Amino acid sequence: MKRWTGAGVGRWLAVVVLVVFAGFPIYWMLNTALTTGDERFVGQSLWPKLSRLGNLFEVFDSGVPLLRWLGNSAVIAVGTTFFSLALAVLAGYGLSRYRHFAGRGLVAFALFATQMLPEALLIVPLYALFVSLGLMNGLLGLVLANTAFAMPVAVWIIKSAVDGIPYEVEEAARVDGAPRFAIFAQVTLPLVTPSIAAAAVITFFDGWNEFLFASTFIRSTEKWPASKGLSSFIGEYITPLSTVFSASLVFTVPAIIFFLLVQRRIISGLTAGSVKG
Amino acid sequence: MSTMVKVRRRIPPYLFVGAAAVYLAIFTATPLLRGVWLSFTDTKLLNPDGGTFVGADNYRNLLTEDRFLSSVVTTLLYTTLTVVGALVLGTAAAFAINERFRGRAVARAVLTMPWAAPSIAVVLVYTWIFNVEDGVANRSLAALGIGQQGWLLDPDRGLLAVTLVSVWKVFPFIMLVVLAALQSVPSELRESGRIDGAARLTIVREIVLPHIAPTLRVAALLMTIWSIRRFEIIFLLTGGGPVDSTNTLVINVYREAFQNSELGRAAAIGMLGLCLSLVVTVVYFVVDGRSARKEAS
Repeated sequence: MKRWTGAGVGRWLAVVVLVVFAGFPIYWMLNTALTTGDERFVGQSLWPKLSRLGNLFEVFDSGVPLLRWLGNSAVIAVGTTFFSLALAVLAGYGLSRYRHFAGRGLVAFALFATQMLPEALLIVPLYALFVSLGLMNGLLGLVLANTAFAMPVAVWIIKSAVDGIPYEVEEAARVDGAPRFAIFAQVTLPLVTPSIAAAAVITFFDGWNEFLFASTFIRSTEKWPASKGLSSFIGEYITPLSTVFSASLVFTVPAIIFFLLVQRRIISGLTAGSVKG
Repeated sequence: MSTMVKVRRRIPPYLFVGAAAVYLAIFTATPLLRGVWLSFTDTKLLNPDGGTFVGADNYRNLLTEDRFLSSVVTTLLYTTLTVVGALVLGTAAAFAINERFRGRAVARAVLTMPWAAPSIAVVLVYTWIFNVEDGVANRSLAALGIGQQGWLLDPDRGLLAVTLVSVWKVFPFIMLVVLAALQSVPSELRESGRIDGAARLTIVREIVLPHIAPTLRVAALLMTIWSIRRFEIIFLLTGGGPVDSTNTLVINVYREAFQNSELGRAAAIGMLGLCLSLVVTVVYFVVDGRSARKEAS
């Protein structure tokens, strides 16, 4: 039998309070998604109507073009992931394995500095750039803009993973005369696949969630991603709350699941890679 | 060694890093430089190429305007509150779930969720929670006999509400960072402290905290520069209102550019915001270098 110590009870209480604080808004999304229209005014029950779980999917027939929004978000997210990883796998490896070359410090600083740049500041120059490149009102423009912010994070994650692979592993292959690029592709990359997967998740959801570029660079509503589409519900009182929050849930749940799967590697990459250059 | 061989040896790093560097040059550095230029012009949104050079006028004007200065104060206040809130809550959460207990995996998953949830969904649900008439926040307060609060509508509450949502959203990051650091504290260190009969708190203060301090500093830096530039949550919750009470620099950039059409002024505000982040980063590296030396000696 475990004794109930003071510290034990204290910790248990802290965990309960924190879990309620963190979980409540997510729970409230679900709870509201399961309500019927008139509950809003009589007061929503704290307990969800689980019998209505099946109704969650009615959101797809509700007239809200959710599938199209999600489709656009998916295109943006896949594109952002593709470009970010293609650049970041190479750059992460290069920064990890080559410690002395002209411009290394500058590249490392630029990668870190993107974390300080307000997107709002870059919108106007990017707007001008996109107009001249003919990228306005298209998903490709969003992919390119998102990649500029997502790729550096992916570089850190991959760099810090490569840092963790002993160089001797590569030297063995080197002695056998394998060219550098082949060693990179066939020896090192497979060893850091989990971190590449983590970087893929974080870049995917950067594209999936992005709102500011989407709302400035996209004019036509049929090209809206879900972030922009969902934002049109703010301050709008016509769409039933159950529809709004069913749509939010459909948008949120994949992000939560994937983040939970890979968060450890994201964390170590962000903290170790970002500052130690 | 022939020059040819030397050159061939120097090329490989650029093959790996070059593409990313060029990408950043095109999509980050060039727009940024253009932003610097814009900040010295009187460019308008409707005629983005028609601005004329006005020297430091934008900066001079901004630095004498109360509205701008209060925006700086709002940014500092928002950033400080969010960073401190997230550090305290995140560290507390990490300590709370560091040791094994039944349900720990579930607790950890739930505590991570806010960080993973898309901002727009977060804003939708908090707008509903904070709804003045029917939101669960005011309904619960009413049950306790406390009158209606105008969370997102009351200038005295706006910053508080926005900070609360921000802390909720980002504290899991600190939690996960601290948790990872805690699990790397060598257990012999703790054991030796325990054998010496040290009290729990002493062990934490003397052994655990110094061990996680470097990680905590990095996390605090990231958290600070992310807070200075945070846009979506604030913009979608309040749009900078009520009565400018949440008008941070980044929100100000957006409003100046897209509501007032003043691209030049907007760029100048953005640059000053960026300077703020740079100052924080430099201070961090100075402090970090000093503490690292202290810890080493």
